Amino acid sequence: MDRRITRRDFLEAFTAMGLALPMPVPMSLFDVKHPRGLDFNHVNSPTPQKYLIETMGGGVALFDYNNDGLLDIFLVNSGRLANPMHPPEIFDRQTPRNWNRLYRQNPDGSFTDVTQEAGLANAGDGNYGMGVAVGDYDNDGFPDLYVTNYGKNTLYHNNGNGTFTDVTVTAGVQAGGWSCSAGFFDYDNDGHLDLFVTRYMIWDTQHSKICGGEWQTYCPPAEFPATTNILYRNRGDGTFEDVSHRSGIASIKGRSLGVSFADYDDDGFTDIFVSNDGMRQFLFHNNGDGTFTERALEAGTALTDDGRPLSGMGTVFQDYDNDGRPDILVTVLPREVYALFHNDGNGAFSYRSLQAGLGWLSAASSGWGAGLEDFDNDGWKDLFVAQSHVLDNVEQIDHMMHYKEPPLLALNHNGRFERADSGVAAAIAGRGAAFGDLNNDGWMDVVVTSLGGEPLVLLNHGGSGNWLSISLRGTRSNRDGLGARVQVNGQTRFATTAGSYISASDKRLHFGLGAAEMAKVEIHWPSGTHQVLEGVRPNQFLEVREPEKL
Amino acid sequence: MSGVFLTILLALQASMSPALQSLHAGVEAEKSGQLDTAVTEFRKATELDPKLEAAFADLGGVYIEKGDYAAAVPPLKRALELSPDLEGAHRLLGYALLAQGYASEAIPHLEKAHAEDALGIALLEAGKLPEALAVLQKALAQNPEDPDLLYYYGRTAGLLSKQVFDELEARFPDSARAHQMMAQDYAVLHDVPSAEREFFAALHLRPQAAGLHLQLGELYARAQQWDKAEEQFRLETESQPGSAEAFYRLGEARLQLGNFHEARAALVHSDQLRQDMPETLYQLGKAAAMEGDNSMAQKCWEQLLSLEKDTPLAAQAHFGLSGIYRKQGRPADADREMEEFRKLQRNPAHTVDSPK
Repeated sequence: MDRRITRRDFLEAFTAMGLALPMPVPMSLFDVKHPRGLDFNHVNSPTPQKYLIETMGGGVALFDYNNDGLLDIFLVNSGRLANPMHPPEIFDRQTPRNWNRLYRQNPDGSFTDVTQEAGLANAGDGNYGMGVAVGDYDNDGFPDLYVTNYGKNTLYHNNGNGTFTDVTVTAGVQAGGWSCSAGFFDYDNDGHLDLFVTRYMIWDTQHSKICGGEWQTYCPPAEFPATTNILYRNRGDGTFEDVSHRSGIASIKGRSLGVSFADYDDDGFTDIFVSNDGMRQFLFHNNGDGTFTERALEAGTALTDDGRPLSGMGTVFQDYDNDGRPDILVTVLPREVYALFHNDGNGAFSYRSLQAGLGWLSAASSGWGAGLEDFDNDGWKDLFVAQSHVLDNVEQIDHMMHYKEPPLLALNHNGRFERADSGVAAAIAGRGAAFGDLNNDGWMDVVVTSLGGEPLVLLNHGGSGNWLSISLRGTRSNRDGLGARVQVNGQTRFATTAGSYISASDKRLHFGLGAAEMAKVEIHWPSGTHQVLEGVRPNQFLEVREPEKL
Repeated sequence: MSGVFLTILLALQASMSPALQSLHAGVEAEKSGQLDTAVTEFRKATELDPKLEAAFADLGGVYIEKGDYAAAVPPLKRALELSPDLEGAHRLLGYALLAQGYASEAIPHLEKAHAEDALGIALLEAGKLPEALAVLQKALAQNPEDPDLLYYYGRTAGLLSKQVFDELEARFPDSARAHQMMAQDYAVLHDVPSAEREFFAALHLRPQAAGLHLQLGELYARAQQWDKAEEQFRLETESQPGSAEAFYRLGEARLQLGNFHEARAALVHSDQLRQDMPETLYQLGKAAAMEGDNSMAQKCWEQLLSLEKDTPLAAQAHFGLSGIYRKQGRPADADREMEEFRKLQRNPAHTVDSPK
């Protein structure tokens, strides 16, 4: 492998030689790229009416829709808003500039817009776009798309020939109201991916409000009624059943924006964390019998350690401190701190934001899409957050705040995060963020969306650390092994495409191995199968097939 | 209002002249709310007896009741010409003049009437702020629950403060205190760079001035720039080693930075300097909990709860204790503390009870 000098190598080399560095040369981790062919521009159509939906869209998915081994990019557009809107609500999604877009990655790293030929052009005039979830719900080996909207959601079945078919009505997953983040997971371990859909609030353009007095700004969420989230159970025949009430998910109302999945108590069933805006967070414990119990307060993930609610937006459910248990990250507004709930075991979490350094890193920022990924391949998951305030005029209201912000990149040093240069100099209205290895070089890349703007593609410079990328091929479990717990050399990842904010990430599981020349891989499949692979070589894309028999 | 004058006169005069009869009729009309009739009768009384000061005073009083302050002034002035010591007439004339914006003219009459409330307002309107503050303070001592008095007292204090600061700026524009004052003004406007510039100018002139580092630290803290805040609070503790507040703020900043051991040291020192401060106890408990010293956290929060029962800080202490007990495997105690936390929530829907 071509060994490249990382920033850390550079600094260590200077230190070892006793050389003083008069001015540390900042070296960024990513290159901001504008790949040829990726010409998306998000349309959110802000109006003086300050419709809340204007501030919330910008979903992105990284997935390989044609199984050519290259990640493709799907970007959710929002639509046109009139000033003011009149019923019926029409968002002009037939106009090409308001389409969602699918960009196929070419072998040279450029992209080709294949939206129309893929059958994804018109998202429905009554739908103002929000986010996207990715999962192979019919286990046919081709990832499907679920697009959330203010309006009705859409399930696009991947036909495996480069096209998609809108199967929403047949599948019975159109939801309604205002959906935000969604995610596929297998809550009953039957091998078929189920679908969780967050909904923000009960709101429509005819019942919108403007807040802030003379400042004329967007209203806080508490101005509008809370609503329920939705759980769809996959029947395995291409249709879904709304089990929101039966499962207990709809027994509690929230103002939900983000969702992430992991089995936090290691009972073999995937649990759900839901980030809520301006209120307590939800942790739905999977009882293993088709029902869930909301346990955030008891578990210690509902509020901050001061008992304060969070403006929860994005969320990640992964193990940041390599103790094998999934922890929870929630991105929030400024003057709060990105919440980090450390999984202590026994079903309990501790608020560890300050210990992890997030007090300093995030108290002045607003976070949306987020990921815990090992960007420098040192064996510790780092933090990336797309940032921007909700209020586009916040600087007039409060000179200490900024509307646009650069993303946050913080490297993880033994469980404590320290700011690093992401390479993004310009401030943006960051919203969605999806993570994956776009150029298959073994280093995690990021695509960040910007509200009303162009997405940023951040390609990782790479470095010297070894890595391993694992694709799961479920046989008894769901085909992509979502929900599996995968451990590599003391690190743990929970297989998921969900998390972040209104976005979906590469299903492959990426592990940085540092200097390790060999890896031990342990997989706890959702079916209950425990698989161990010894002596795995680093720096490869490894597909692991689930044993068909126990 | 005018009955007082009549009562005196009626007591002194056995037989009623026509003027007194009109005066009496005016008083009765006023009592029954027939203000126009009262005006007619009082005016008739003044015409029948131009020396009858009570009739002039009562006429002015009725005009005030009607809200016709301009019409009230001439009869009240005439009443005082006839009887300069008529305290009630002074009060009414003071009110009438003040109501029309003649604050300076109202002041001597309100002084003679010892009407502190209106006098304070008149002094304020006349720009005599120190005098107004003193008079309003006296009036507030007599009527501490009067929201109008509280308003005028606050307004006077604010204006006086501004006046003094304006004078400071005008006379000593390059002084440390003038820069400090400017910095505080910018801080109120959340203009961090300008406030920062003025604070540094002040510190350049008076590096050891009490409170300067503290205020600059507070500015940084509000801007969530905790590293800079910590540095300023530390400098304040060095120049003011007896300041419990400075140590408290230093501890708070260090908590934000995740430096729990150092935070705890600062908070312990703050607690030693000024004991039984609930804020300090809460943060000290938090720092201890962050370090894993749950027994210390428990002790601090229980002490806090012995001082405060139903404040937001008490709620936070209950919440913290609940977390500790749950981790200690004491679910009943944890539930009890959570219930206490729940009871103290102003908006439970946002924290504990989502609406179903």
